[in-house]
Amino acid sequence: MNAVEVRDLVVEYGAHRVISGLSLEVPDGTFVGLVGPSGCGKSTLLRCIAGLLRPTRGTVRVLGAPVVGPPPAVGILFQEDALLPWRTAQENVALGLKFRGMPRSEAQEEALRWLERVGLGAFARHYPSELSGGMKKRVALAQVLACRPRVLLMDEPFASLDAILRQLVERDFLDLAAQERLTVLWVTHDLEEALLLSDRVVVMSAGPLAHVVRTYEVPFGRTRDLVRLRADPRFADLLQAIWEDLRREVARMGWEGAA
Amino acid sequence: MRRTGVLLLGLVAWELAARLHWLDPLLFPPPLEVAAVLMGLFRSGGFWGHVRTTLLEAFLGLASGVLTGGLLGIGAAIFAPVAEVLEPVMALLNAIPRVILAPLFVIWFGIGVASKVALGFLLVCVVMFFAVYTGIREVDPRLVDRVRTLGGRSLDVLREVYLPSLAAWLLSGLKVAVGFAFTGAVVGEFVAASRGIGYLLSFAQSTYNARLTLALVLLVVGVILGLFGLSTALERRWLRWKPEYHRAPSPVPSTAPSTPSAPAARGVRPVERE
Repeated sequence: MNAVEVRDLVVEYGAHRVISGLSLEVPDGTFVGLVGPSGCGKSTLLRCIAGLLRPTRGTVRVLGAPVVGPPPAVGILFQEDALLPWRTAQENVALGLKFRGMPRSEAQEEALRWLERVGLGAFARHYPSELSGGMKKRVALAQVLACRPRVLLMDEPFASLDAILRQLVERDFLDLAAQERLTVLWVTHDLEEALLLSDRVVVMSAGPLAHVVRTYEVPFGRTRDLVRLRADPRFADLLQAIWEDLRREVARMGWEGAA
Repeated sequence: MRRTGVLLLGLVAWELAARLHWLDPLLFPPPLEVAAVLMGLFRSGGFWGHVRTTLLEAFLGLASGVLTGGLLGIGAAIFAPVAEVLEPVMALLNAIPRVILAPLFVIWFGIGVASKVALGFLLVCVVMFFAVYTGIREVDPRLVDRVRTLGGRSLDVLREVYLPSLAAWLLSGLKVAVGFAFTGAVVGEFVAASRGIGYLLSFAQSTYNARLTLALVLLVVGVILGLFGLSTALERRWLRWKPEYHRAPSPVPSTAPSTPSAPAARGVRPVERE
């Protein structure tokens, strides 16, 4: 079964068309990486799946059900974390549980367990302004995972972190996602990262009129090591192929130099 | 502490200068005499009636202004046509010195409480309109998305996002509004009244009584400072999430190099990617 199914999606803001006839499938339990030139409508696509944006035409289904509002089975991590600044880390994590009708004290306890799972149990009573960037990402992750989503959407969630912190946070995230058996659709700019973490990489065309250019199956199995992967000739071939696709798309937009 | 010291030093210098007749004590009465006048006022029976009148006018002006300005602000933030009509009007009212309308209000509403309340209302209403209107428009749309994707309904969005972000704007608006409510009351009484602190001020001025004038000014300043203390206490309570209100220097390392590896240390079993 497909966890996410997008058919002939068209999104227009007024007269301005952003996505033009995009179709996409994310099989249950897989990691799908979404790459494409900047401004190609990747974020718009995620917003449609998350139920934050109503498409002009086309259908979006999550676990078989058409999306009309934010589906409870979907969690989303944005590029910029958006924790409520007036809530402590623990209260932020408890938020989704409270919305689902869990009693307050129970939600707080569950939230604390999740904070401990991301290594921030000691910071439960801190406000976001008292946390570092990496810590806020972890709180946001705990906040989303506490709601037990089946599908996780991520819009370059780690882009604002520096390289080392990013690798560590990503690693922890993958562990958690594997434990929770999540289906993940994520947007990234980093092709190596996309190949390292995904089962399938989808290349989107340059906007406007975004659509799917090509889909690559990643044949390396789930447990990977970047160093070993780099030595694999298939890895280099895939990287090359995706890179060529992207180069063509960017060139089509007429600013090749910016690539 | 430093500020208190400077203030005390200034008062002592003033006291000495007046006593030594470097300053004309009729124009610049020594602080101790002003204090004595103020104590005398407190002990006299008729004085409290004047204070009550001014407080009542200020309170009514504040309450009606906050309520109306707040509701208009909400209306303008929600309905674009309302904003189109209201914003230029409010901007104009904000630009002009609104107290010039005081004489007109006396003609319209008489020399009683009503004309002072009207002036205070007008002063406060404009301030609160902008506080609420801006406050709602400045709400971070990412937070709205966050609450909605976590399963929050409209009421949750209101309670979790709009009200808390508005609280900061409301409080800073209220601080200005309290001062304006008193301006409305006192200036209104100044123009025409038979009661109130402004009336007493106008009386003191017409009899060249600098001591009484200073004593009354001191009284108004005291009341406002008390109200400011109250709103600061509210800020500390409502806005304790803001960095400037944090209880103590936070124990957060500026860069957190040790925390990323914490989950493994805390027993979350890493999945091997070999």
